Amino acid sequence: MTPGPKTPRIVAIGGGGFGSTGRDHALDAYIAELAGANLGVARAADRPKICLLPTASGDPKDQITRFNATFRRLGCDPSHLALFRLGDQPDVELREHLLAQDAIYVGGGSLANLLAIWRTHGLDEVLREAWESGILLSGVSAGSMCWFQAGITRSHGGPRPSPGMGFLSGSNCVHYANDAARAPSYHAAMLAGELPGGWGVPDGTALVFDGTDLREVVTARPGCNAYRVDVVDGQLVEKICEARVLEDRDPAPELDPALAEFRAQHRRASGLSRGPRANGWRSPTF
Amino acid sequence: MEAGNPLLDDYVLAAANKAHPKVCFLASASGDADHYIVRFYRAFDASRCEPSHLSLFRREAGAPDLRTHLLDQDVIYVGGGSVISLLGVWRAHGLDAILREAWTNGVLMCGVSAGSLCWFREAVTAFHGEPQRVTGLDLLPWSNTVHYDGEQARDRSYRQFLVDGLCPGYAAEDGAALHFVGERLVRAVSSRPHARAYRMRCVRGRVVKSAIKTRYLADGVLPALPAGGGGRGLSVAPDSGPAEVLPTAIAAGARS
Repeated sequence: MTPGPKTPRIVAIGGGGFGSTGRDHALDAYIAELAGANLGVARAADRPKICLLPTASGDPKDQITRFNATFRRLGCDPSHLALFRLGDQPDVELREHLLAQDAIYVGGGSLANLLAIWRTHGLDEVLREAWESGILLSGVSAGSMCWFQAGITRSHGGPRPSPGMGFLSGSNCVHYANDAARAPSYHAAMLAGELPGGWGVPDGTALVFDGTDLREVVTARPGCNAYRVDVVDGQLVEKICEARVLEDRDPAPELDPALAEFRAQHRRASGLSRGPRANGWRSPTF
Repeated sequence: MEAGNPLLDDYVLAAANKAHPKVCFLASASGDADHYIVRFYRAFDASRCEPSHLSLFRREAGAPDLRTHLLDQDVIYVGGGSVISLLGVWRAHGLDAILREAWTNGVLMCGVSAGSLCWFREAVTAFHGEPQRVTGLDLLPWSNTVHYDGEQARDRSYRQFLVDGLCPGYAAEDGAALHFVGERLVRAVSSRPHARAYRMRCVRGRVVKSAIKTRYLADGVLPALPAGGGGRGLSVAPDSGPAEVLPTAIAAGARS
């Protein structure tokens, strides 16, 4: 690590990312670039170290494989910690490994499971330490909401509010335009006083915080923006936070069409839709 | 669910003491690994039981109410993996309370490896790094360790923990299973000819390890369980009231 303090930074992604379809490749590249910036002068020639925590979905091997392939291709030195299979990594000490990274990337899944498991392993404390020491914290979906005071999660079935670790003030709703039931649930919970104001973020789009301040919104999907949502005088107020479109200088290879079809079928079978503004949900008017 | 060895699976189904019992698999300790769930459905196929599983990582699919589903089972089978992660994820979904309720109601609880450790007051796990003490669900007021064969570090640590005040308990080798009715051990069985279980306690600063008679399940018919706990612990109350089902747990050390 280079001497001297670095800015604690969090990149909170609304959905998609690392090679899932290739379309959010610019976002993966952006994370790799920020990780590289953490190398400083002394280690400028090194490959930035980035560690995946796939805890929220139970450490599935395909997620780890995709992560490694994506970030290796982007010039990083990827690794992962699978808390369910630590027996396979006998020599890894969790705190030491995480604090040696330039960036930490938290995968999506169940927010409630993620935090419960981290706490039993003491990782909540380690991640705060990592953040304060300037290691880039990033994550998608549950891996985005975990940094905030609260989020809207499907950890228990239907969408409902669930607490995060509170590194960042406010709440976070991911898949904001992509999951038909989530945004209405977010708005209802906020109106009921169960959630503080916060940010709704669609897939392929990310909030970037320096310290605890929102620095900018970036997106790999032109036309997508984030939304700041608050309750003012008993009314919901949604303000657009325009996203800077990230340029994809080195697009990832297209997904195998057979695999794309398999995934589409799987999504249909599980009743989930990833299409923008699917299932008739439209942005509420205020 | 040992590869090519159905002896413990058969024992669990027989202990359910019911034709076509409902068996629910919890793979939480492995992060709900798909291959493990598939293996469960192969071992506990629909010809001899009514199998189901609950995935705590994919709650949007599956049974909408965990408590209703679990209380409706005859057997709850917990798979192996990380006991620390297991207990964390269970607490997030209130399963610690639900499983205690199910056990009290007479649902047969069983599990292997991490799925054995979880039922005890305290467990010694060596899943990652140095062996460590873990607080379990405390259905059984004993300590437990699994994979007791061949791991010297685990044996050393268990002994030291006992000297340091860990409650007395049971160590199981791979293939050995401990069958409790209520809090009492009624039988040790095994799916491998030489697998053993041991009773471990500290007496005046010294650890006493005593081998428990462990019956190899391929050696024919088992003798009846001691009075008060037949099979699953089914006994009729003396005043001809409703049948009482005693809480039962089978904790296996098998590496699956």
